[in-house]
Amino acid sequence: MTKILGIDLGTTNSAMAVVEGGEPRIVENHEGNRTTPSVVAINKSSERLVGTLARRQAVVNPKDTLFSLKRLIGRRFEDEEVQKDKDLLPYEMKKSDKGGVEVKMGDRWYTPEEISAMILQKMKSDAEARLGEKIEEAVITVPAYFDDSQRQATKQAGEIAGLKVKRIINEPTAAALAYGLNKEKNEKIVVYDFGGGTFDISVLEVGDNTVEVKATGGDTHLGGDDLDQKILGHLLEEYKKTEGTDLSKDPLALQRLKEAAEKAKIELSSSMETEINLPYVTSDDSGPKHFVMKLTRAKLEELADEFIKKSIDLVKETVTGGAKLKVEDINEIILVGGQTRMPAVQSAVKGLFGKEAHKDINPDEVVALGAAIQAGILQGDVKDVLLLDVTPLTLSIETLGSVATPMIEKNTTVPTSKTQVFSTAADNQPSVEVHILQGERPMAADNKTLAQFILDGIPPAPRGTPQVEVVFDIDANGILNVNAKDKATGKEQSVRIEAATSLNKDEVERLKKEAETHAEEDTKKKELIEIKNQAEGAVYTAEKALRENGDKIEANVKTSIEEKVKKVQEVKEKDNQEEIKSATEELVKEMQKVGEALYNTSNTKEKEGERKQTEADEVKEDEGNKEEKNGKSDSDDNSK
Amino acid sequence: MKKENDKELKNKLKEAEKQRDEYLEGWKRAKADFINYKKEEGERLANVVTSAEGAVIEDMIRVLDSLNLGLVSCREETPEKKGMELIRTQLEDALKKYGVEKIQIEVGEEFDPNTQECLEVLESKKPKGTIIEEVEAGYTMHKKVVRPAKVKVAK
Repeated sequence: MTKILGIDLGTTNSAMAVVEGGEPRIVENHEGNRTTPSVVAINKSSERLVGTLARRQAVVNPKDTLFSLKRLIGRRFEDEEVQKDKDLLPYEMKKSDKGGVEVKMGDRWYTPEEISAMILQKMKSDAEARLGEKIEEAVITVPAYFDDSQRQATKQAGEIAGLKVKRIINEPTAAALAYGLNKEKNEKIVVYDFGGGTFDISVLEVGDNTVEVKATGGDTHLGGDDLDQKILGHLLEEYKKTEGTDLSKDPLALQRLKEAAEKAKIELSSSMETEINLPYVTSDDSGPKHFVMKLTRAKLEELADEFIKKSIDLVKETVTGGAKLKVEDINEIILVGGQTRMPAVQSAVKGLFGKEAHKDINPDEVVALGAAIQAGILQGDVKDVLLLDVTPLTLSIETLGSVATPMIEKNTTVPTSKTQVFSTAADNQPSVEVHILQGERPMAADNKTLAQFILDGIPPAPRGTPQVEVVFDIDANGILNVNAKDKATGKEQSVRIEAATSLNKDEVERLKKEAETHAEEDTKKKELIEIKNQAEGAVYTAEKALRENGDKIEANVKTSIEEKVKKVQEVKEKDNQEEIKSATEELVKEMQKVGEALYNTSNTKEKEGERKQTEADEVKEDEGNKEEKNGKSDSDDNSK
Repeated sequence: MKKENDKELKNKLKEAEKQRDEYLEGWKRAKADFINYKKEEGERLANVVTSAEGAVIEDMIRVLDSLNLGLVSCREETPEKKGMELIRTQLEDALKKYGVEKIQIEVGEEFDPNTQECLEVLESKKPKGTIIEEVEAGYTMHKKVVRPAKVKVAK
């Protein structure tokens, strides 16, 4: 069974993906890029160039470099759109015998289908080389507003490229598929697609496994490129104002500035300010000139404002006018297209709908990934036979201070197994209690108890020494087995919990919501516990040190430590984080003095220790009693 | 009665065998998918490393560009200029260690989009389609183009 390729045939860039192991992934092209420019050219020696190569030579060969074919495919020559684009595109076009469009490349006329086929052909052969298998079938996406003739022409393009087109699907539908939103019933989805050259808005309605397009809108000549132009214009103008030089006349300077502007735009999505630094950008009679300018996110947003406002107006118009819905009716929003990475775009969309949009999947790739998922469905992938479940909630174990320590995180695919070693919290602790919890809250008490058991018979040992291995294992039927084993004695105890994964959806949602609403107080609570645990640990170490090395410690230091220990124990009862923290810190600091003192005494005796090498070895062998011996007699110096 | 029972059992067996084959097939497929995925993941990881290196290299190349432009603008041969030239050599040598090489461009050779990008076409006495000036150096890394050379071409 060969794979079906999912293809996003874009106006400026195209991308492809396949489903592997039930998950879609982007297939890189021959050049190693995840997207391929939708550009085709023929050079002087009648060689055909597609993608990056075609774009690189566009300036040399403007008449024979074809791009934006998507604007022409399946349209009639008289269409208003075509007439408008005719003046913007540098290549020649004419009316075909059938009333469609034909474009000239080299000395031949081609239909837009044939040119698009060349892009598809490259993608097909690049995918074959990457995947090491023949590709014969494809799912291709088109904008939701494409009419029958445009869809038919796109399908033909695929067929000319040697692909059997299993289905033509809408780009917004593909995006919804990529986010797995096709299963929800009666949901209304808005797909906001702000690409490089076009802005598309679609309103979808999902019902019984079908996705219906309720309305489409947008602007076919609004995109990220407009913003890039505007930023460049701003930089040129500012430079002219401050330096008096017009950089637009110098092609290299312009090129460098263009690249730097794009980089700055991307950088400003994650930082608030960036500096464009182009030394020796140009030179005049007075010598070399440099371009150094700060660009803030605020300035960028000011520049982008008109485009964003326009896009939001178009969304409103499409939702209320086109789909006859209210903004509040929309359940989900999906962001597509590189421009939606801009925080200002995201917050404008959020501002309109009052909820977060889906944006986790790379917006340049989401459509191709969705196409691959559609291909996977058509292929009837193995997924149907082998449906793997996930654990809806985190499974944890209660540890010191009533903290829920996660063993298996939520959304882990089952069957799975996790092992972790725990220890005791007190000296000579004879047993441990294994308390199994389910839920997202960090404190044990706030989660649901699934089971509880006790593993006893642990031989007496200082705290932290025994090793209890706990195994959480969920089988394919969602049955959780928990086993605890004392590594020293081999003694074990286990419990079996049925239906650890099969919670009803409402309950899962409720628990997740709860975790969200309590997130802040929970973190505080957990922090407090952690600080308390640290304090306890410090007290334990201090007391142990006093007990074992008491005679080596100077009396005044000893009293001071005892005081500090007392202070820690006092404040520990009150729940003031800062107080506990500072008391603990003081204690630890004081303890360092003891460490130094002990180290010095052992240092002075080092030489002596060397002579007593044989004796020291004996002590080492006797691991179990080492600490005791160490404390008992200072004549028994083992130079540690 | 017995016959009927036999038939029923046979059908059940058939059904069970069919299911077994289906499951075994699914299991094998999943296992194979996983093994393949692991293999590919290894390759992908190697690619990620090179492309991450590539991104750093690209940024370094930009610094080298500026340095080159700076040196061009120094007209007098001073010890300071010499020092800067040595820094440039140092940077170029460092890049070489990572498999980065400058794309060699000859004025007069035919424009080749495999390694070059055309910034501008100009009227010239030179034959049409040949390079008349290299405006910015291009680089390859392990034979792959990291950045094409920017050139001016004769109209």
